[in-house]
Amino acid sequence: MPISLFSIILFGSLTLFLALMAVLVFLGKVPLRYNLRNLVVRWPITLLTGMAFILVIGLMTVMLAFVNGLYQLTQGSGQPGNVMVLADGATDELFSNLGASDITQLASRDDIVRDEDGHKLVSWETYVVVNQPIANAVKGGRQRRFLQVRGMQDPVLSGRVHNLPLHEGGAWFSEVQELPDGTQAIQAVLGEGMAREMGKDRNKASLEPNDVFDLGPRKWVVTGVLKSSGSTFDSEIWAKQSRVGEMFGKPAYTTVVLRSADAGTAKTVAEDLTKNYKTPAVSAQTEKDYFEKLNNTNAQFLYSVIFIVIIMAIGGVFGVMNAMFAAVSQRTKDIGVLRILGYTPLQVLMSFFLESLLLAVLGGLLGIAIGSLCHGFTASSIAGSGAGGGKSVVLKLVVDQYILATGLGFALVMGALGGLIPALSAMRLKPLESLR
Amino acid sequence: MDIVKSLLMWTFALCLAGAAVAVPLIMGLPYVDDLFTRLLIIGVAVAVAVLLVVAFHQALFFHIRFVLKSLLRNLLRSSLTAAATMLLVFVVTCVWTVLWFLHAVTSEKSKDLKAIVTEKWQIPSQMPFSYGNTLADGGARQPGDAKPQDSMNWQFYGGSLIQDAAQRNRENIVFFFGMDPKKFLTMMDGIDEFTQSEIDQIKKYADEMVKDKRKVVIGVERLKALHKQVGDKIKVYSFNYKDVDLEFEIIGALPKGRYALSAVMNCQYLNDAVNEDYPRTHSGKKHEMAEKSLNLVWLRVPDTKTYEKVAGQVETAFANSTPSVKCETASSGVASFLDAYRDLLWGMEWIFSPIALVSMAVVIATAISISVRERRTEMAILKVLGFGPWRIMTLVLGEALLLGALSGMISVGLTYLIVNVYIGGIPFPIAFFPAFRIPIYALAWGPMIGAGTALVGSIVPALSARAVKVSEVFSKVA
Repeated sequence: MPISLFSIILFGSLTLFLALMAVLVFLGKVPLRYNLRNLVVRWPITLLTGMAFILVIGLMTVMLAFVNGLYQLTQGSGQPGNVMVLADGATDELFSNLGASDITQLASRDDIVRDEDGHKLVSWETYVVVNQPIANAVKGGRQRRFLQVRGMQDPVLSGRVHNLPLHEGGAWFSEVQELPDGTQAIQAVLGEGMAREMGKDRNKASLEPNDVFDLGPRKWVVTGVLKSSGSTFDSEIWAKQSRVGEMFGKPAYTTVVLRSADAGTAKTVAEDLTKNYKTPAVSAQTEKDYFEKLNNTNAQFLYSVIFIVIIMAIGGVFGVMNAMFAAVSQRTKDIGVLRILGYTPLQVLMSFFLESLLLAVLGGLLGIAIGSLCHGFTASSIAGSGAGGGKSVVLKLVVDQYILATGLGFALVMGALGGLIPALSAMRLKPLESLR
Repeated sequence: MDIVKSLLMWTFALCLAGAAVAVPLIMGLPYVDDLFTRLLIIGVAVAVAVLLVVAFHQALFFHIRFVLKSLLRNLLRSSLTAAATMLLVFVVTCVWTVLWFLHAVTSEKSKDLKAIVTEKWQIPSQMPFSYGNTLADGGARQPGDAKPQDSMNWQFYGGSLIQDAAQRNRENIVFFFGMDPKKFLTMMDGIDEFTQSEIDQIKKYADEMVKDKRKVVIGVERLKALHKQVGDKIKVYSFNYKDVDLEFEIIGALPKGRYALSAVMNCQYLNDAVNEDYPRTHSGKKHEMAEKSLNLVWLRVPDTKTYEKVAGQVETAFANSTPSVKCETASSGVASFLDAYRDLLWGMEWIFSPIALVSMAVVIATAISISVRERRTEMAILKVLGFGPWRIMTLVLGEALLLGALSGMISVGLTYLIVNVYIGGIPFPIAFFPAFRIPIYALAWGPMIGAGTALVGSIVPALSARAVKVSEVFSKVA
């Protein structure tokens, strides 16, 4: 687990909060059993108040899991040693246009790593987005989808550059393959997410080798499925560059990916290419940096989630306040008795404050548990830099320790805010007046 | 004093009945085109409202007075419940606004619809500019062929104010719709959201842009992000038209709302730069985008029948061309772009909205449950005084309904005002929609959401109030 300032603050404040609760319980000599009994006796109100925590924290967990999934997807994409070369000025592969004849010198660098067969690890690619009429589309429903197609000059080498092997039973593509009816179909491999998505058209869990689909004016046949889960390549279709470029009017390469020894070398290579390669000028960056920039959309979603959760939490806090104020007013006489028995006003305050926190912990934990059920579910979204382009991605919702800690911390803050003012009002009650 | 009280009660009762009838009116009227039917609906609604008040004013007066007194008895609790409801109504209104808008733009229309013509397979669509003339006529070749009522070409020109590609980001990037400036008011969507003065201003901008092709208008939010203002001159280093870097003068800002992040330029400027200036400065060489500069053509057609004819004509006219084209309704085109967001939108509709509504019901249920629990003796006394169980139940329900409906109404009113007037829409960019303005119908959502969730949340406490047993309560008191 990487130690960052965020994790230190998050886990530090959570530990502090829980420690404070423990101190209040053990040193404050609070009548905790009385509070627990009260929660049980007034179970309908306890249940309703707890529900507010469960719903808000559960929803927050799901929404954060979605954003976290997007972040992990973009962070999991790209190899540390890879350098991505686009046309000068292009902010995304979609807008890049590298003249085929002018860029061959890119591969002549000595700092490009070779594979065991002695081939330089360079991937020459043409990336296009294509719209596909959905097979068996329901009338009135969506009729088309956008597919990301990547034409590869040498698919085996490209697979190595991107570190994406095929699932068992699959094979890399060549050009075309004759189908049983005599039709010539273009061979392609699919990302796992794309295979699942297109499988829905045929009521299958996923497309498999030898399955045929329509795209553009031709039939395509699946030769394999990439082990691409957790990367943006999961939502792509790979085929021969010569076929893709010709069919979709993009004969030139859009992207060249070079594999260098490590992340440090990749950075040096990228800087050198951007600065010194002028035939024609190119824009090079490490693949990790490219995918890092796609986090812009994630940030937008994250801010929206934070805003919505805060608003909902404030609503929840008001609900908790209601319940706690009612608890105080219904137990005025109890408070009087406690005071006469020798409990100090501070202990009374702690008692009610802890009751609220206890409710928050229970509700929060349940909310987190229910919200965590979404872990591993898949969803589609867009990852983009905000500078045009962007990629359709299939992501997995991820609930991690940060989300769990944030959920619990948020519940505690809600409980503290909702319980403090009623607890203060309980503390200020005078014993004799409350018994009257 | 009694007269004042009576007047207040009458006003309140009338408002309540009026609101009860206004909600279906606001929700229903936009879907009725015929003026006579509209007037008829309004007339019947008003008549029903008056009849309701006249027929039930005695009972209403009593109920309202009782309910108000009960709510005011614990002002803190009522205020907290109202505040929670208002916040949750605000969140639900925002989410429903986004969903409502996206549903509206992806719903097929039968009259006055728009069609989009794009390259058949590739995104972004890149067609030769020469396609424009044929497409503007809807591919009509024979005398009897259908023609669109209006058309608009879009050419996308994107670039940055900074030449260094490595430093390009949202704060220095701008995308222009290259188009005939005069078409902005006749063909763009959402013009009805503009005020008359904004429309007049845009007309002036369009005239100036036609006279001087370097003049542009940029959305107010994009201007802010670029740290530029009206009157500034900018140079844009393009990333989709390599080596076609253009200088512009910003003559106006598009108002808050749908076009707050957009920018519009005269397409003539781009075409001259690509087709004339570039070859002149590059030894006669054609620009690589010269035959790919037309991105999209919008066609306005009066009805579905004409659309189908025009779509057929367009696709036939370019069947053997490279690239071939496709013609689809605007709603279908937008739906394709939104496809990538479908899980997110599904989650907003089927996970987020229900949970927010249930949260609201829970908050109200908590408050009403506490209230009923505290007033069991009072309920028993009411029973002794002759109140039937159902009447007690309606009193409890009335409290919740009034609180929920009023909180919802205030919340949605404030949300409408703040979001639409001050912020210019909910800033949640999805696909090419930068912000979402709250529709006028949303004013009906607030009271409906508030009252609906209050009703659900208060049913169990109301039933418990109904079931209060006089003997049990008084035996405990004794």
